[in-house]
Amino acid sequence: MAQTLLEVQDLRTVFATKEGNVKAVDGVSFHLDAGETLGIVGESGCGKSVTAMSIMGLQRPGRIVGGKVLFKGNDLTKASETEMREVRGQQIAMIFQDPMTSLNPVFKTGWQVAEPLRLHRGVDFVKALAGAVAMLGRVGIPSPAERAKNYPHQFSGGMRQRAMIAMGLTTTPQVLIADEPTTALDVTIQAQILDLLRTVNREFGTATILITHNLGVVAGMCERVMVMYAGKVVESGPTEDVFAHPKHPYTWSLLRSIPRLDAERHEPLKPIEGLPPNLIDLPPGCAFQPRCPFRIERCTRDTPVLNRVGETQLAACWVTQSGTELKDA
Amino acid sequence: MIDPGQAVERELPSPAFEGDARRPAQSYWNESWERLRSNRIGMVCGSLILVLALIAIAAPLFTQFLTHYEPFRLDLDSTFAPPGHPHLLGTDELGRDTLTRLIYGGRVTLGVALLTVALSLTLGTTVGLAAGFYGRWIDDLLMRFVDVVLAFPAIFLFILMAILFRPTPITLAAIIASVGWGGVARLVRGEVLSVKQRDFILATRSLGARDGRLIIRHLLPNVLPVLIVAASLGVGQIILIEAALDFLGLGIQPPTASWGNMLTNSQSYFFHSVWLVYFPGITIFVTVLAANLFGNAVRDAFDPRLK
Repeated sequence: MAQTLLEVQDLRTVFATKEGNVKAVDGVSFHLDAGETLGIVGESGCGKSVTAMSIMGLQRPGRIVGGKVLFKGNDLTKASETEMREVRGQQIAMIFQDPMTSLNPVFKTGWQVAEPLRLHRGVDFVKALAGAVAMLGRVGIPSPAERAKNYPHQFSGGMRQRAMIAMGLTTTPQVLIADEPTTALDVTIQAQILDLLRTVNREFGTATILITHNLGVVAGMCERVMVMYAGKVVESGPTEDVFAHPKHPYTWSLLRSIPRLDAERHEPLKPIEGLPPNLIDLPPGCAFQPRCPFRIERCTRDTPVLNRVGETQLAACWVTQSGTELKDA
Repeated sequence: MIDPGQAVERELPSPAFEGDARRPAQSYWNESWERLRSNRIGMVCGSLILVLALIAIAAPLFTQFLTHYEPFRLDLDSTFAPPGHPHLLGTDELGRDTLTRLIYGGRVTLGVALLTVALSLTLGTTVGLAAGFYGRWIDDLLMRFVDVVLAFPAIFLFILMAILFRPTPITLAAIIASVGWGGVARLVRGEVLSVKQRDFILATRSLGARDGRLIIRHLLPNVLPVLIVAASLGVGQIILIEAALDFLGLGIQPPTASWGNMLTNSQSYFFHSVWLVYFPGITIFVTVLAANLFGNAVRDAFDPRLK
């Protein structure tokens, strides 16, 4: 088996607000093997991005109150700021949702793509720029030497995201965290960027964590998927298995709420009733229980833990753990 | 490591046609400069300030070749000479040449203005960047201090300082800047608070940049437009404050000439030698007006918030 690169154990991140502590990440555990692509899905505000930020040590103003982030055996939550700076951008790189605002508007794009090389490799500007230009070419920017002289506002959204990816790759990190990299782009550009990420994963061997709320993206990109709800992992497993036989009612409901090509015509989509819970004041028992069509009495009492359900999957659900199949009522 | 030599060994999926790469890079600065250049009033006023500054710098040349008088030279035989020959703008009660003294006064006034702007921008920017970037108690501490500085009645502070320190151009600049930096700090802090929220700051952090680099390389250039605007709009105001302090006798002391103390001096002779009032007054008026109009033009061209 591939070696485990990143292992997150029982990570807890909270944000202190006037109303109380928001448990944005509430006991998340997962691992990432070298070279693989892991998808993290869930609706807005379920803790996907905060998980990523906590790995990078950029969770401020939130606080990590528990758990470990083991990167090649070192606990990043205990690392000093200096050690973290060495990890950021060199070992773990990150791509953000909105390429329009992720580049500094006052600098030429090449200068910015070269920045990680200058920060971590200590190379001079000319060499760093040459590296940046080469990388811009590799991520599919036409005439990269010319383009490196352009300012970000002269790039289209797709090109900016390519530039962001190039910036992340200049130091050949082992992990690339892509936080909704295609959400702000239009559909054709989305496909190109995903294609690029796939190629990057294959050619550079970069392990990728892809954070998205788009199930289709996960299906096309990721070997394994992890579904988050209200700051917790509710289900994880190989993408095919999770999509074919969801073992958590939330995953099951999510999959039924998106259109399918093979569905009966005029069959209405089924939205998930209700709203995500307030992260300050979670409902008793399972966080999904108020919206869950399969709720049993135990769900309102005990909080389910992530356990093996079926051959390959993990799910945090009392119903499926007791052997019940999820089927339409 | 990346080897630039083996670039594009294999083309990754290339985007469809996305914009014309041949359009020359138009930076923010280029664009702003073009905008400023097309503002005729602004350019005239800017040139006027520049000419005044050049005259002030080259003051000894002017007095040697144009007016032929030294600023302190008394000529008790020709006191209160009206404008004409040989004293182009007349003389004062001690027979000193008005034009010469105006030129030398310009040195003082423009020098003080420049120094004041430099001092208050440096201090204000530093404080504003620190307060805005670090936030929390640092922000509270620094900004409450700014509030105190700005709440103090400036004129009393000037009077107090002028008593404590002998007014020379340098102390005078320091005195005016000691109040002026507060506004700059507030301005910079506000701008930093907004820029800091943008994703590229987070993105740069995620590349492993340290705080100092974030502040100097990424935040400062983004607040620079606001600083340029503040500086150019501040010049006129500072000239007025300086003239007012001189006029009250709290600024540059005679016999050193400044536009303000020339005006003070002349008020005793208002009725029989009115040009002694006119020339320094007009000079101050024109300079401040030009500085303000130029400042407005700069703001129109550079302020990112007006776009």
